[in-house]
Amino acid sequence: MTDQDQKQSFAFSPPSLSGSKTLLPVLVGLFLLLAALPAAAQDENVYRQFLGLDSRRLVWFLAQMHLFFGAFVLGVPLFAVTIEIAGWTNGDDKFDKLAYEFTSLLSVAYATTAALGGLLAFALFTLYPTFMGYMAGIFKDVMFIYALLFFGETFCLYLYYYGWKWLKKGEPFPPLSRWIFKALALVVGAFGIALLAGWVGPDMRTDTRWFMFLLYILPIAVGLWIIRGRKTMHIFIGILLNVFGTAIMQLANSWAGFMMSPTGVDGNGVFVGTVWQAFENILATPIAIHRMLGNLAFGGLVAGSYAAVKFISSQTQEERAHYDWMGYISNLVAIVALIPLPFAGYYLGREVYSTSAVMGNNMMGGDFSWTFIIQAMLVGSLFLISNYYLWSGMTRIPGAQRYYKFIKWILLAIILSLAVWLTPHNLPLSSREVGEMGGSQYHPVLKFLGLMPAKNAVVNLIILATFFSFLLYRRGNMENSVSVRKQGNGARLTIIIVGALAIAIVAQYAWVMLRLDPAELDLPADRVGYIRTIGWALVVQCGVGVIAILLALIDRGKLGQGLYLASTALNVTGFLGVYGFVVMEKASPVLRNVAVSQFLQLISCLILVGVIDAFLFRRAKSLGAMQWGKMTTRSQYALLLLTFVITMNMGLMGFIRSGLRGDWHIFGVMRDTSDWAATPTNFVMTQQVSAAVLLFMIGCAFMFWLGGIAAKGGEEK
Amino acid sequence: MNPTIPRIFVFLLVVLGVYLWIGYSITALTGGGGDDTAVVDITPEGGETIYWGKGRCFTCHSVGGQGSAVRGPNHGQFGEKFPQPMGARAIERAAERSAKEGVEFTAVDYIVESMASPGAYIVEGYKNEMAVVYAPPISLELKEIKAVVAYLMALGGDLDMEAIDTNPSDVTAGLYSKISAAAEAGGGDPEEGIIVYEDNCQECHMLNDDGGGEIGPDLTGIAAIGLDGLSEAILAPAKAMTEGYETHVVKNKEGRQFIGLKTRDEDGEVDITNALGDVETLDKADIETISVDDTVSIMPDDIAEVITVKEYQDLLSFLMLQKPVEEQ
Repeated sequence: MTDQDQKQSFAFSPPSLSGSKTLLPVLVGLFLLLAALPAAAQDENVYRQFLGLDSRRLVWFLAQMHLFFGAFVLGVPLFAVTIEIAGWTNGDDKFDKLAYEFTSLLSVAYATTAALGGLLAFALFTLYPTFMGYMAGIFKDVMFIYALLFFGETFCLYLYYYGWKWLKKGEPFPPLSRWIFKALALVVGAFGIALLAGWVGPDMRTDTRWFMFLLYILPIAVGLWIIRGRKTMHIFIGILLNVFGTAIMQLANSWAGFMMSPTGVDGNGVFVGTVWQAFENILATPIAIHRMLGNLAFGGLVAGSYAAVKFISSQTQEERAHYDWMGYISNLVAIVALIPLPFAGYYLGREVYSTSAVMGNNMMGGDFSWTFIIQAMLVGSLFLISNYYLWSGMTRIPGAQRYYKFIKWILLAIILSLAVWLTPHNLPLSSREVGEMGGSQYHPVLKFLGLMPAKNAVVNLIILATFFSFLLYRRGNMENSVSVRKQGNGARLTIIIVGALAIAIVAQYAWVMLRLDPAELDLPADRVGYIRTIGWALVVQCGVGVIAILLALIDRGKLGQGLYLASTALNVTGFLGVYGFVVMEKASPVLRNVAVSQFLQLISCLILVGVIDAFLFRRAKSLGAMQWGKMTTRSQYALLLLTFVITMNMGLMGFIRSGLRGDWHIFGVMRDTSDWAATPTNFVMTQQVSAAVLLFMIGCAFMFWLGGIAAKGGEEK
Repeated sequence: MNPTIPRIFVFLLVVLGVYLWIGYSITALTGGGGDDTAVVDITPEGGETIYWGKGRCFTCHSVGGQGSAVRGPNHGQFGEKFPQPMGARAIERAAERSAKEGVEFTAVDYIVESMASPGAYIVEGYKNEMAVVYAPPISLELKEIKAVVAYLMALGGDLDMEAIDTNPSDVTAGLYSKISAAAEAGGGDPEEGIIVYEDNCQECHMLNDDGGGEIGPDLTGIAAIGLDGLSEAILAPAKAMTEGYETHVVKNKEGRQFIGLKTRDEDGEVDITNALGDVETLDKADIETISVDDTVSIMPDDIAEVITVKEYQDLLSFLMLQKPVEEQ
C-alpha cells in the first residue's frame, strides 16, 4: 500500500471514534489487537486491496472526508463558545441565539465524523496491516488516551447542546461553590505558570508548552474563574468541549508528525525511546498550530456558507437580516484565523526544513513546487474574496461611502500582489521558446518575481491590505474618532502595554540581528553588513512604533496608525522586499532572516494599529445603524466561494503535507514498498480533492437541511 | 424543492471544473508522478536520471538554465557567478583543495568529496546544509553516486570513468569507503559521529590511542563486530559483554555491596572500578562473596534517550569506519 496513501491519507488523521458509541469498543479492540502484534519497521510490508480498488486512493479519500468533517466539528465550537461569551458579557441575547444555531449544526457532523473515522480506521488496519501494526506498537498508550478523550468530548458536546436552554437561566450558585471554583481556577492557573516556567515538563518543547498553556490550561482556568451560575457553567462546558476536541486533534497530529519526523526510534525503526518522545516529535506541534487555525477558518466559512444559503432562500427581511449578520460573523471569524495562518504555515515549513532539508526542498522546489503555485492561487483567492465580501458589506453601513475611494487602490494592491505571488521563477519551455528568450529559461524581468524575496514582500502586502479593508469596514458608520485621553488611564495604559508588546516583537529580533555572527550562517565575516542592515531597519521600525504610540496618547491616533502602517508597508514590502534580492545574491543564508523580520513587523503592525483603533473609535458617534440584510445575492455567492476554495485548499495542503514523505510510510524509517509508492501528479490530486469536496458539500447540504428541520421543530414547540 | 440548492451545486461544479482544469494543465506542462527508482548504470546518462530524479539534486541545484533551484550552487555555466560548468570548475576546486589539504586532489576527488563530505569545502555565499545523499530519505547507493559524479564530470570536464569507478585515487577510494560504511550504518554522517563519540563514549573507551578512558574495552577496530554487533553493544550492553569486562558484584563482610569491573586481582586485594571510574580496593579477607552478574553492564543502557536518532546513526557510521588495522 502506498505509503502515500497513508501519507496522503493523513492516514493519520485520527480515526475518529466520536459520536458513535457503537464504534468505540470495536476500534478500541482493533487498537488492542494491533498493539499486541507490533511490527518491526524492517519487516516486509503487507499490502491489501478492497474490491480491487487502489488502496492508496481509497484511504486518501476516506481520510480527506474524515478531516473535512472533523475540522468542522473542531472549528465550530471554538467560535460558538466565543460568541456565547460575547453575548454573555454584553447581555445581548442575539449572540446567544447565534451561538446556539452554530452549535445545532454540530450534532449531525459529529456522528458523520465518527462514522468516517471508523471507516478510515478499518481501511487502514485492513489494507496497511504492517504499517498500522508498527504505529500501534509505538502509540498504543496514546491511542487509548485518544479513544478515552472521545467520551469526554461526546459528553461535553451533548451537554453543551442539549443543556443550552436548561443552563441558560437560574439562580446564582451559592458563594461557597463559587469560591471553590475560583480556588480550582487558581490551582489550574498555578499549574500553568509552573508549566511555562519549566518546573513541570522541563524537557518539553517550547511550542508544545505554549500550545498546552494557551489552549488547555488558560481556558480552563478562566472558565472556572468565571463560574457564577448556570450560564457560566454552560460556558465552562463549552470550553471543556474545545479542550477535549483540541486534545484529540493534538494526539492524532502526533501520529502524522511522527510519520514525517520520527523520534525515539533507531535507524532500523526499532523503538528505543519513550512514548512522550514519539508523541512530541518535531512536527507534531507545528502541525497542530497550523491545523488549529485552519480549522477555525474552515469552521467559520462552512458556517458562513450555511448563512449564505439561508440568506439566498430567505423570504422575509427579518430572515435576511439575521443570516446576513450570521454570515458576517462567520467571515470575520475566518479572517481572524486566516491572517495568522501564513505565519503558522511559515513556522511549519521552517520546522519541515529543520527536520529534513530534503523534505523541505521537495516541498518548495521539488515535486510540490507547482502544487504550491495552485495553493498560492487558492490562498490569494481567499484573501481577495474575503475583501470583496467586506467591501460588499460596506454597502449596508451608513457613512461607509466615505471610504469607497480606497477600495480601488486596495484592489489594485491585492491584484498586483497576487500576480507576483503566482509568477513562477521559470516555466518548462520548448527549445523555440528558449531561443526566443535568448537561450535562457528565465524571463529577463519576470524571473525576479518568481523568487522568494518577491513572494515574501507581496504576501505581507496582501495581509496588510486585508487588514486595512477591515479597518475601513470597522469605522464605516462612525462619524469620527474619539479622544483617547478622555477615556482615562485604563485606555492609555492598555495602548502603552499592548503597543510595547508589539514593539518588543520587532525589537527582540533587531537585537538578534545586531549581534548575530555571520559564521553561524557559514558566512565570511565581511558579510556581516547584510545582517546588520536588517537589524537597523528593525530599529527604525521600533522607533516609528514608539512615535505611533505617543501620537495615539495625545489624540493623534489616526496619524500614528497611518505612520506605522506606512512604515510597515515601506519597510516590509519596499525596502526588505528589494533588499532580499541583494541578500540572495551576496549572502543567501540571510534570506531566511529577512523573511522572519518581515513577518514580525507585520504581526507587530496588526497588534499596534489594532489596539489604537480599538480605543480610537470606542463608543464613537454613529452615523446610523447597520442595515443588516441589505446585501447583494452576489456577495452570498462570494461567501460560498470562500467555503469551496478553503475546502479545496485544505485537501491540497493535506496532499502536500503527507506527500512530502515521498516513498516512506515513516520518513527515513519505514519505506513504502507498494505499487503506489510514487508521488501522484497534481491532476490526480485535483481529482481526489474535487471528489472529496463535492461529497463533503453534499454532506453539508444534508446537515444544513437536518439543522433546519430541527430549528423549525424547536420554533413550533 | 428550493431552487437555491441546485444553483449552488451548479456553481460548485463550475468551481471544481476550474480546479480540475488547473490540475490537468499543470500536469500536462510539468509531468510528474513517475517512479524514479529505476536502476541506472554508472554513466553520465544514468547520473542525469539520478540527478533529476531519485537523488533530488534538482531541488537545490540547477544546471545552467535547466531547473530553477538556487539554494545550492548552479552546476552549469550560469552568469558571472558560475562562468564554468561543474566538470571544468572541479579542476580549479581540486587545485584549491590540494593546496589546503597538502594531498593531491583530482577533479573527481573534489566532486566525490562534495557528496561524501559536503562540509569540507563550502562555496562562497552558500550554507553548509547539503543533505547526506547516502542516508534516508534519499539513500543513494554507491553505484548511483558514481553515476552522478560521471554526470557532473561530463558537464565541461574530462570524463575518466576509471577514476570514477574501477580505479579510483586514494582520496576517492577513502571517500567511497566512508560512504559505504555510513550507508551500511543507516546513513549517518561519520564526521558528526566523532562529536557524538567524544561526548558520550570517549570518557570510558580508548580508540586508536586517542587518550580515552580505560573503563570500557578498547574500541580500536571495533567495526569488525559488524553493524548488528555495534547496535547491540550500544543499545543493550549487557547482552554484548566483552570478555574481561564483566560486571562483578562484591559483597563485603559488613554487608556493603560494590558493583563494577574487576580491574585488579593480586596481592590479596581486588580493585572494583565503577561506572564513574572510581576505584575501590578491597582486601580479599574482607570479602563475603564475589560473583559475575551477566545481566547488567556498567555501561549505561539509556543512550537512546540521551542522543537523537540522527546522532545514533552518526555514531554508528563513525564506528563502522573503525576497521581493524590490517584492513585499513
